[in-house]
Amino acid sequence: MTGILGIYLFDERWNAGSFGAYGLMALQHRGQETVGLELFGKNRRKIAGEGLVDDVLNKLDAEGHICLGAVSPYPVEVKEDIPPFMLSEKVSVAIDGRVTSIENYTWDNSLRYEENLRKAFERFSKGGSDIDILKEFFYSCRGGFAYIAVNDKNEMVAGRGSLGVKPLALGKFGFEGGIIASETCVMDVVGERVPISPAENVEPGWAMVFTSFSAKWVKSSNSCKRAYCSFEYVYLARPDSYVNDIPIYRVRRSIGRKLAEESRVDADVVIGVPETAIPFAMAYSNETGIPIEKGFELTGRRVRSALRPDQLERLKGVQLKLNVISDAVRGKRVILIDDSVVRGNTLANIVYLMKEKGAKEIHVRIGSPHIISHCPFGVEVPPEDELIGRHLSEEKIAEVVGADSFKYLSLNGLVEAIGLKEEELCLGCFNCVYPEV
Amino acid sequence: MKVLLVGGGGREHAIAKAFYRSSYEPRLFCVSELVNPGINRIVKETGGEYYVGNPNDPETVFQAALKAGVDFVFVGPEEPNFRGIPDELEKGDIPCIGANKDVAEIEMSKASMRDLQWKYMIPGRLWYKKFRTFEEAVPYVEEYAESVALKPARQVGGKGVKVIEDFQVYLRDDKKKVKKQHIESIYKDYMKGYEDMDFKILIEERVWGPEYTLQCFTDGRTVVPMPAVQDNKHAFDGDLGPETGGMGSIACGMNLKWGVDDDRAILTEEEIKKSTEIVRMMVEAIQKETGRKYHGFVAGQMMLTSVWGPTIIEMYSRLGDPEALNVLAVLKTDLVEICESIISEKLNSIKVEFEERATVVKAVSPEGYPLSRDLAKGHPVVVDEQEGVFWASAHLKEDGVIETGGSRLIECLGIADTIPEASLIAERLTSKARLADGWGLFHRSDIGSEKSLERRMMLANMAREIYKYRERKGILGKRIIWVPGKGLEEVG
Repeated sequence: MTGILGIYLFDERWNAGSFGAYGLMALQHRGQETVGLELFGKNRRKIAGEGLVDDVLNKLDAEGHICLGAVSPYPVEVKEDIPPFMLSEKVSVAIDGRVTSIENYTWDNSLRYEENLRKAFERFSKGGSDIDILKEFFYSCRGGFAYIAVNDKNEMVAGRGSLGVKPLALGKFGFEGGIIASETCVMDVVGERVPISPAENVEPGWAMVFTSFSAKWVKSSNSCKRAYCSFEYVYLARPDSYVNDIPIYRVRRSIGRKLAEESRVDADVVIGVPETAIPFAMAYSNETGIPIEKGFELTGRRVRSALRPDQLERLKGVQLKLNVISDAVRGKRVILIDDSVVRGNTLANIVYLMKEKGAKEIHVRIGSPHIISHCPFGVEVPPEDELIGRHLSEEKIAEVVGADSFKYLSLNGLVEAIGLKEEELCLGCFNCVYPEV
Repeated sequence: MKVLLVGGGGREHAIAKAFYRSSYEPRLFCVSELVNPGINRIVKETGGEYYVGNPNDPETVFQAALKAGVDFVFVGPEEPNFRGIPDELEKGDIPCIGANKDVAEIEMSKASMRDLQWKYMIPGRLWYKKFRTFEEAVPYVEEYAESVALKPARQVGGKGVKVIEDFQVYLRDDKKKVKKQHIESIYKDYMKGYEDMDFKILIEERVWGPEYTLQCFTDGRTVVPMPAVQDNKHAFDGDLGPETGGMGSIACGMNLKWGVDDDRAILTEEEIKKSTEIVRMMVEAIQKETGRKYHGFVAGQMMLTSVWGPTIIEMYSRLGDPEALNVLAVLKTDLVEICESIISEKLNSIKVEFEERATVVKAVSPEGYPLSRDLAKGHPVVVDEQEGVFWASAHLKEDGVIETGGSRLIECLGIADTIPEASLIAERLTSKARLADGWGLFHRSDIGSEKSLERRMMLANMAREIYKYRERKGILGKRIIWVPGKGLEEVG
């Protein structure tokens, strides 16, 4: 997953730079390895680097009334691949998710992903860069993705693949222009403050095309097969965002309620693992009447530990992030709620710390089903032999992590909490069933 | 009976149609710069004449009225009012439906309008500042970071307004820069050539809420409201893009109901009453101020805000375009009768009635409108004319070819029991026009859709909840600010 955004302001006197930078900050949770922001106006300039938005974009000296940006969780081999990257000499693109195949193009496995896209686009466009060509090119792409592209005529197209795996929303900026971004929280941070839902969902298979004198919706596909990523609701998206018009916060609370229904246990206190699992824990507590407590305090910068690429970094993140507040747990029976379990070692670390601080019992509840398989659309899931949920039962996991009991949310429970039909969701990482692309 | 119509846009085509329906069967004459193909047909059918000329020039209009020997003149747009056309006609004893120069000040000078509203303490008054020069306004913009509407102090064809929401401190510098650039262009570009006013720049507080236009007939004694209409100012679907003269409008009943037999509405009846009272007070105030009678149309371009409830954004001294289409389509009373009762100041003696139907108007414009009108101009037009299609900015040349005028080309009217149904009818009509040279046309497909109506109602409810709270607390319209080190400041 990647956080992408495009800002299109009609009046050329605007500089979209700071809007882009703060907008990317609102998407930082979607990727913390690289940052890229390209500005289009009289000239065209890209600022990109490794690190967080704060570090990479702290001195922004580029100008332009249009911008295209991305934050990504993937380390890059070559700096030019930091998204948004050049699709051709004339076109830049930011993609969230994965294009898995392209009509009339044979994937060349000796090339990097970006190089394959470039090669395919070169064949498709024959050197052209018209906005219609660009739009048609993405129609011919298959997979689970959302994209935003800008050409050399300062025109922008932004759309979602027909499966709708990855989210995308359109926000407005008064009479001045539009904002397209992975999540609606961007509109709250840099858009116009309108007291109703600040953004409109971009429907799967649709794209928005901006030119200097038009902004219009175009439909690329009549396919009604959907595969909305369920992991967006569990973990990826920010709780103040809407994904497919569904408020993430509402889903996270429903998950907490479902956990209380499915695997209730008598205890003295409910504690959520920050940040994602806090709304789960709040709803679990409301539902059961067991009081909720703040169990952890953070040291240093807030980073998303599960996204760190190597094991040591992840543990470092967890230990700094999660210092247990002893008085919240000492002598108590604790229901500890987390969003997901991948390898189980960070969870084991937390349970260990909590027992060390005097927790009498620890009952772990997980706000998602077991992760047993990979994601073909870019969410980084480790190799299958590393996934604890694929190999061990709930009882065994409890023993491994040192908890008194351990329960996942059921697959049905998750589907019901999201509120969409099961056939509209991609639950591949939980059940190995993937949409046909 | 003979009537001279001044102006040649979509609004005037709708007015011409309303006269065409009249049982008095008036012969219709028209004076405008471009030959509107729709008005031209009605003029020809009723045995009138089309004078091509400057509708803003008093002498041209006066001579046309004399030549035609009309019973009265009907002014469509605002600029002829500002230029004193009704005054000139009055001098020559030709009755006129149109605000005279002095009372039309409530539209022409947005600054005087606010002065008047504050002087007479009329509700729904926004906080504002006016400036004579760019240099005078700069220190103000430098010092205060506020969400504002930056406006030319004069009505300049609906252009030049920029609304900048300035809440996020981290984006303040960029916004300040654009604010300054924009007031500079208000001073140097938009107000260029308008020497009829001292004040050039107006800065008003920015407010949010659903907008609506409350158009009224007035003879100076009585103010008779028409159904409230909601215009859509953004150029593109989903309320996106630059401000236009209006890309379409909706109405149903007096208070913007969802449908004829439906309880859902954007406004309450009480809010309509309050809005009408505000417009009536404005008419009274301007007459008192100028000592002159207001004969014609007056409209509050209003917003239901959280600060005030019904609030004046701007005033019109004429019917709105395209809002005129919505109200004239459901006007049951004979327009000639209304005009005569305005002229004789007996508007209170007749009953003005409207049919309760939902109306939706969608404008179709050539690409380039509104920011690059030169690109939008001069394209040959092919239209499959049908009931409900109104000609707007189009010119019928002598060789019979119709060309785009650079603004909205046609306006399509749908009438039904509910707004979403009327929207579908209007939507079908938008496909009746194309440009023979292949240049693109655009319109908004979302106007009057269920989704857009729902959003407007939601917005109205949110504004209503806050202004009702203010009403209960007795602080409606008041801004109470604690200035650290200085104390309590109260505005409003």
